[in-house]
Parts: sequence; structure tokens; C-alpha cells
Amino acid sequence: MKRILAFSVLAATIVASCATTGNNTSSASPSGSGTATGQHPKIGLVTDVGGLNDKSFNSLADKGRQQAQAQLDVDTSVTESKQQADYVPNLTKYAQDKYDLVIGVGFLMQNAIWKVATQFPNVKFAIIDGAPNDDAGNVKNLPNVANLFFKEQEAGYVVGVIAATMAKNKVGAATHNTVCSMGGLPIPPVDRYIAGYQDAVKTVSPTTKILNGYSQDFVDQQKGIEVGKSHIAQGCDILFQVAGGSGLGYIQAAKDAKVYAIGVDADQAAVAPGTVITSALKKVDVAVFQTVRSLRLGTFKAGDNSFNATNDGIGFGTLDKIVPDDAKAAATQALADIKSGKITPKDTVQVKP
Amino acid sequence: MTQLQGTTTTGPGAERPAPSVRQLTFQWAGGPAIPILSVAIALLLGAVFVLLSGNDPVKGYLALFQGAFGTPYDITETIVAAIPLVLTGLAVAVAFRTGLFNIGAQGQLLVGALAAGWAGSQWATLPGFILMPIVIVFGTAGGALYGGIVGLLKAVRGVNEVITTIMLNYTIVFVMHWLLQAGPMTAQNAFGTPASTPIGAGARLPVIIPNELVLFSRLHAGIVLAALAVIAFWFLLWRTPLGYRLRAVGLGARAAAQAGIDPARHMIMVMAIAGGFAGLGGMIEVSGVFGRVYDGFSSSYGFDAIAVALLGKNSPLGIVVAALLFGAFVHGGAYMQSHAGISSNLVAIIQAFVLFVIAAESLVRSLTRRRGRARKPVEAIA
Amino acid sequence: MTLEMLIGASVAAATLRLAAPIALAALGGVVTERSGVTNIALEASMLVGAFFGIVAADRSHNIWIALGVAILAGALIALLHAYASITLRSDQIVSGMALNILALGLTTYLDYEMYGTTGTPPDLVGLPDVQLGFLSGVPYVGGAIGSQNSMVWVMALLVVGLQIFLFRTVAGLRLRAVGEHPRAAETVGIDVRRIRYAAVLASGALAALGGAYLSLGVAHSFTDGMTGGRGFIGLAAMIFGRWTPVGALAASLIFGYGNALSTSLQGATIGDTKVPVQLLGTLPYLLTILAVAGFVGRSRPPAADGVPYETEGHA
Repeated sequence: MKRILAFSVLAATIVASCATTGNNTSSASPSGSGTATGQHPKIGLVTDVGGLNDKSFNSLADKGRQQAQAQLDVDTSVTESKQQADYVPNLTKYAQDKYDLVIGVGFLMQNAIWKVATQFPNVKFAIIDGAPNDDAGNVKNLPNVANLFFKEQEAGYVVGVIAATMAKNKVGAATHNTVCSMGGLPIPPVDRYIAGYQDAVKTVSPTTKILNGYSQDFVDQQKGIEVGKSHIAQGCDILFQVAGGSGLGYIQAAKDAKVYAIGVDADQAAVAPGTVITSALKKVDVAVFQTVRSLRLGTFKAGDNSFNATNDGIGFGTLDKIVPDDAKAAATQALADIKSGKITPKDTVQVKP
Repeated sequence: MTQLQGTTTTGPGAERPAPSVRQLTFQWAGGPAIPILSVAIALLLGAVFVLLSGNDPVKGYLALFQGAFGTPYDITETIVAAIPLVLTGLAVAVAFRTGLFNIGAQGQLLVGALAAGWAGSQWATLPGFILMPIVIVFGTAGGALYGGIVGLLKAVRGVNEVITTIMLNYTIVFVMHWLLQAGPMTAQNAFGTPASTPIGAGARLPVIIPNELVLFSRLHAGIVLAALAVIAFWFLLWRTPLGYRLRAVGLGARAAAQAGIDPARHMIMVMAIAGGFAGLGGMIEVSGVFGRVYDGFSSSYGFDAIAVALLGKNSPLGIVVAALLFGAFVHGGAYMQSHAGISSNLVAIIQAFVLFVIAAESLVRSLTRRRGRARKPVEAIA
Repeated sequence: MTLEMLIGASVAAATLRLAAPIALAALGGVVTERSGVTNIALEASMLVGAFFGIVAADRSHNIWIALGVAILAGALIALLHAYASITLRSDQIVSGMALNILALGLTTYLDYEMYGTTGTPPDLVGLPDVQLGFLSGVPYVGGAIGSQNSMVWVMALLVVGLQIFLFRTVAGLRLRAVGEHPRAAETVGIDVRRIRYAAVLASGALAALGGAYLSLGVAHSFTDGMTGGRGFIGLAAMIFGRWTPVGALAASLIFGYGNALSTSLQGATIGDTKVPVQLLGTLPYLLTILAVAGFVGRSRPPAADGVPYETEGHA
């Protein structure tokens, strides 16, 4: 009896720690009756293995889902994949339960989307950052799959314009005419951002020194700080992070040294006000929202759907007050030039570590 | 590190014979009633958590069970999720049985996967009856090599195996990054997914359940390989003289030499066998599930394996059951999230409770103890 | 590849920064394993220390309270492990692993509930750096230790303190006796259980300090799973360091150095070829294996390590 009591006390201790939860903003369960299609379309979101709080694609996609739930009269549900082998069953379960639209996040899901979309031709799918890939690794567009692409290099370009303008004119703490970037790993989705960034700097301010590095991790902040410290020691004043959670460490290093940083994917001005001068926006939430909306309106478009400068799919985020007007103007102009096709940012990295 | 050779102590004042570490590690004293009760207690604790988070525990658990076993499709998915855990569980258990702690199953699995993935794509045009055995051999050998290094380092330089395995686990992750992103195994991919060239059709383990039976099932022939591995594990340890000697070492024979084994050779051999099991697991995932090696495809097969092996008491049947339990959590847990709105992290917490309570076997036993009731004698070596 | 990249003052400074959390976890491991309990839930204590430290910093705006809460959280996790291992005589590996899963799930869950997608707030009160201005002129040393976080200094003090405690005090002797020959220790009147409980709680507190260093001293925020396996590396460092505080520190420094190199060597070339960035990540791990293989050789754990102890006359 004593042991049961002791164990319950322990259990209560663990449990009491949960009593501090704030508003329940976790994954929404299907509201209402969750009936078949027609009145309340059901939208399912399957995330990548990074978790909903990855400070990157998953959290943005989930934001889009929540917005869709709030504004578009749909029932939504989200499933976090814990390992890559889960993609297929997670997608399949939504399809089997007759969801109207199933969205997969991330390029790792390309084969999974192909498999499941082929098996369920009457269900609509969308994949962020990819296209259906068959077992041989070839792209195979399907009539029920929307491929949502982003041109990260365009987002990287416009923030690169800001960075280059500030570095060139030695604005504020940016006195060394050196800018830098840090990726998580040298994979194309990361490198495209950096490529655009470097392209802009070389175009706008060829004399500016460019540094590049990788933290080898998308979560570990300490690693991001170390790369940041190393770059700052080499004179860098504007640090562009493309490394998810690890990149927050890169921003922290900039904050510690009282220089500047640029965020990525979402608007990260709130992460370090006064340090983050802007962010390279990849509006995954907008893409998700638009796709759900297109389903509601009957304008769902399979195949490639590009989100870039022309449809406000990428952009630059909140500008800190230190950013001078000429930098803002230059970036706005660059965005317009990309829209019109006058500028095509490079998508391969020129300055490696 | 952990010493698994324990001694039973029964002091004069003890109320009952306490289970020795040996028994706790290898025996379910009291039969299956204890683990079932343990799971029930854990689920109850988890229910409290779920309630506190503002969700419905009944709906949640229903979704968990439904997700794991509700339809034939779900059952096959639970099995698919369990298969790699069976192999890595064997990799950990075979080491435990012989007195070693193999934390390196994670890395050994990856090496096996890489080796198998490479072989499968290198000779992709070969027909199945030639390519499949090649791929199996490469996968097993890759893992065995990675495990054997651990044994070698200990034998030659006395490096503690806990250090080597932890370090090698991380090392292969980074080597894999390089191989699949900028190295010799990098495939040209749409949008730069870090992955290897797809393996040839002959190297793919076929789905063994026809669509007419279970629609869209992924249950692949790896289940056969896993079953064979379990049988091999049992046969090796309980039906060969070598296995008998290895187990004797694990149960605390005064010296491995007494059991007729040179300790250095023992370590290399065991770690290689263990690595072989894990490597086979990696090969099965590549051949049966993915068709190529994706960077980071194995999140925690090697670490979960430790719990699987210990929960399964390092015994063939126990490991299979424990692996299925984990598979149920993986597949059912996802459904718990998508259909009952319960955060996947809560599912992890519940899983932790299950592990915790099962580990605390003696608590549960004392809760169910009834005075004067005779209990089954416990055998020292099954 | 320049000498500066290999052993420059900034590399030394980075080594200390990177080694500190591992050393703290390793110290925790030393204390508990010296008393005979295997605690692989150091990672769990680190992680909850990191998280609840940040929460407390957010709510109380007081670094001492934040540290206190962090230590408490880590010790609580350790208490669960102690209860399971010592009183219930559970399998120490499984209960440790269960706690690791619990800690990750719990902190990730609470992080999402409390800080959603906006993340932890900026400008939280944190562990201050210790600026040694008088060293700024001194070559190398000034760069290496002139600006380290206070927790790095605390870690150094703890290493010295624990080394003295374990090997020069009676209390330390008792603790080690409990780990080597619990039955003999009990015969001379030492309360084995109490000492083991204390040791495990202390290990949780030490690991939590490592976690608090990461969140309150380095990152000034919390991200899910931010400890990233440092608790396990700490265990390896403990073994590498032969279960002594000074040895654990040395091992942690070697590992930290490898980590520092993986940053400083980015872009370095050997002859004409650039070292691939991804392979640099293997440096700390390979370096550690080399160091152990080359210099340390066999190491023996405390004799009763990991074996649940049944006391005479108690249930």
C-alpha cells in the first residue's frame, strides 16, 4: 500500500509539471462532425521529421493550415512524422479516411507522395518543395498532385541586396564590409538561399568580402554560435542564417557581438530585435493557404505551382529601423526586377567555406 | 559500465527471494501477467497526462489501438515498423547475452544500409536471384564490420566498447551526410534530396501481401528475413556449443577463459555478429521500404533497440513482442495525433511511462503479491 | 590549413565553451557511478534543466531563481531514476532510457504549448560572461579564457572540488566504498541507500547545470532537443576519464577540441583539396577514439556499478 502511495505521489509530481500549460494551441482535431466531402472538406497535413516546432517549413506549413481552418471553413488535422518510414502510412491514413486534400511537407516525401497519390487517384495531394518521384527517382507529375515550389534564391537575393547596400555604405555597426552566411548542411534547399544571397552581394557590391560556413546541424544552437563567432572574428557584420534551430545560434552570436543578422523562412524580427535586420521569407504558410483555397474554389492546379516573386511567394521580412531607405529601395527594386525577369538570381553557391 | 553478472542475495530478514539482475535481464519471473499489468498502469498514468492537457484520454487510447491494429492495413504497418526493431533488438540482445553492451546498433544499421544501397545500385541490372543475396551479404557484412571494429579496438587497445560505439554512431552520421550529399554515393536528385542512387529492381524486397488481401499494404519480404534472423539468434545461442559458452560468459562465468573462450576473440566475434544483425536491419529498410538510402532515414532504430532488447528480456520471442509494441506506438501514435488531436509528444510521454513501469518489474510484482501463494520456480538458464 | 586554425587562441576558447556542458554531465556521471548506480538519464536531466531554466528566467526575471529551478528539475528526473534503480531495483538502463524519452517528450510538448511557433522570448536574463580585462594584453591566454561564461568557471571549480571530495575526504571515501563493496560498506554502518540516492540526485543537479549553461548561458533561448546527445557524450567522457573528475574534464576537453576544429577547419585545404565540410563533423568522435586508443587503454568501472543492491534485513 505504501508503495502504491509513493508511486502515486511521484506520478502526481510529474503530472503537476504539466499544469503550467498555456492555451492549447497544439494540433487541432477535426472540429464539428467531420463528415464527408461537400460541406466541410477535410485537409490533412503530414509534416517532415523535424517536428511542428522546427522553426522552419513544418511550423510555417502548420501556420498555413491553422489559417485555412480559421478562414476557409475546412476541417484540418496534422500528423507529425517521427521517422522517414512513416511518410507513406501517414499520407495513406488520410487518404483512406477520405480526406479531400493531403499535404506533405518536404523534399524527402517525393517518393511517398508518388506512391500514395497513385494509389488514391480521387484524393488531391500537395507537396511542398518537391514533385512526385517514382521508384526509379524520376519526376512523374500526377493529375491529382500539386507541386509547390519556391525559388529560395530569389528570397536570398533580395536580402543580399540589403546586406550588400549596408555593408558597402558602412551603415551602423557594419563597418568591415564583410557579410557571411551559415547553412545547416550543404544541400540544395539550403544552398539556394545562400546562392542568391551571394549573387546579390557580388552584383551590388563586388568589393564586399563574403564568407560561408555550415553548422552541420539544424537543431544545435551551440554549433551555430561557434560558426557565428568564427565569422565575426573574420570581420563579418551581417550574418545570414539558413539553418533552422541551429541558425538561431548564428543570430545569437550576432547579437552578442552587437552586429546584424538576417533570418530565414519565417519573419524572425522578433527573435532578436535590433539585431535581425530582415528575413528571407519563404511563404510556405501562404502556399498552404492558397492551395486549400484553390480546393475550395475549384481551381486546384496539379503539377508545378511556383511560389516566387511574381505571386508574392517569397519576399523580405520586417526591416529593422537601422536599415536605411536606400537599402529598402534597392531591395524593392530587386524584387520588381526579379518579377519582371530582368534579374535571375543564381542558384548555385559561389563562395564555399 | 553496467555489469550484468549479478548475484542473488537473500539476507535473513528478506521477505522473499529478490530477483537477481541476471533474472531481471533474462527472465520474466511470474509469466506474462506482470508485463501486461505494467502496461495497464502506464497507460493509466498517461491518461492523467492526456486529461491535464485538455484532451480526451478515452478517445486517445481508442485511436492508439485503432491506429495500430484497427484494420488489416494498420496491422501490416505496425509490423513494417517493428521489423527493423526486431533486427536491431537482436543486435543488442546478442551482445547482452554474452555480457556486452552494444549501444552501436544505430551506427551498425546505417553502415549495413549504405553497403546494401551501394551494392544494389552498383549492379542494379542483375536479376533478383543473384542481386538479392549479394545485397543481403553486403548489408550484413557492412554492419558486422562496423561492429567488429569495436571488438577489435577493445581487444587490441582496451578501448571501452561504450565509448567506441557512441563515437562510431555519430561518425557514420557525418560520413553518411558526405556520401549522400557530396560524395561517391550522391545521386542526381530532383531538388537535391540527399539520397543514393535507387537500387535495382532485383534488390527490392517484394511486398508479400497481395492487394486483394490488404489494399496498399507495404508488408515486404523483410519479415521473412527477420524471422530467419530470430531463428538464427535462437539457434546460435541455445543450440550451438559456441552459443552455450557465450551465454556462460554472459551469466558470470568466473572468466571467459574458463568457458573456453579467449576474451578478445569473444568480443570481436560477438560485436561482429551483433553488427551483422543490425546491418541486415539496415539492408531490409533500404530494400523493403525505401528503395534507396535517404540521408537520416534511421531516426532511432538503434536506440529503441536497447529498450526492445531489455523489455524482451533478450529472448527471441520477447524481442519480437517488444518490437511489435514499439511498432504499435509508432503507427498507432500517429493516428492518435491525427484523429484525437493528441500531440505526438504526449504519445512519447506515454511510451516513456510504459517503459518505465515495465522496467520497475518488482514494483508491479509486489503490488500483485499474494501471501502464501506458490510461484513457479525460475530457471537459471532457459 | 594554418596553425592558427589548429591551435589558435580562438580555438582554445571555443574548446572550453564546447567542453563545458559535456564536462558537467560527465561529472554527474562520475558521482553516480562511483556510488554504484548507472545513470544514463543524464541527457534527460540536462534537457529539463535547460528548459525549465528558461521558463523560470522568463517568469521570474531572476537568474538565481532560474538556476535553482533548473537544478531542481534535473534533480527531480534523477530522483525518479534513483527511486526506480535503488528502491525498486529496476533495470537501470531501461529506466534511464525511459526518462530520456520522457524528458524529450515533456520539454518538446511544453515548449510548443508555452512558446508555440514564436519561440522563447528574446532578452531573457542569462548567465553572465566573465570578462577578465586584465588579461587582454596577454597573448593566447587572454584570448582563450578572457571571456568565458560564468558557468565555465563554475565547471572548473566543480572539477577541482569533486576531485578533492571524492579522493581526499571521508565522505568521498564512503561514496566510493558504496560503489566498490556495498555489502562491506553496510557492515561498517554506512547507509548505502541514502548515499546512492544523494549521489544520483547530485548527478541530476550537475547535468542540469550543463543544460542551464546551454540555454541560459549560450543560446539564451530553448529549442527542442537542444542538448543533442551531450549527456551521452558525457558518459563516454566519464569512462574515458576513468571515473575521475579531472579525467572527465580532460576527456571533455579533447572532445570539445574536436568540435572546435570542425568549425575552425571549414575551408582549410590539405594541399589542393578542400576537406569536405560534412566530414569535419566526424572530428570530435574520431579524435576521442584515437585518444582513448592511444593513451588511455583499459579502464575499470567501480566494482558494484550498475548492480542493484539488496540490503540485509530490508524488503
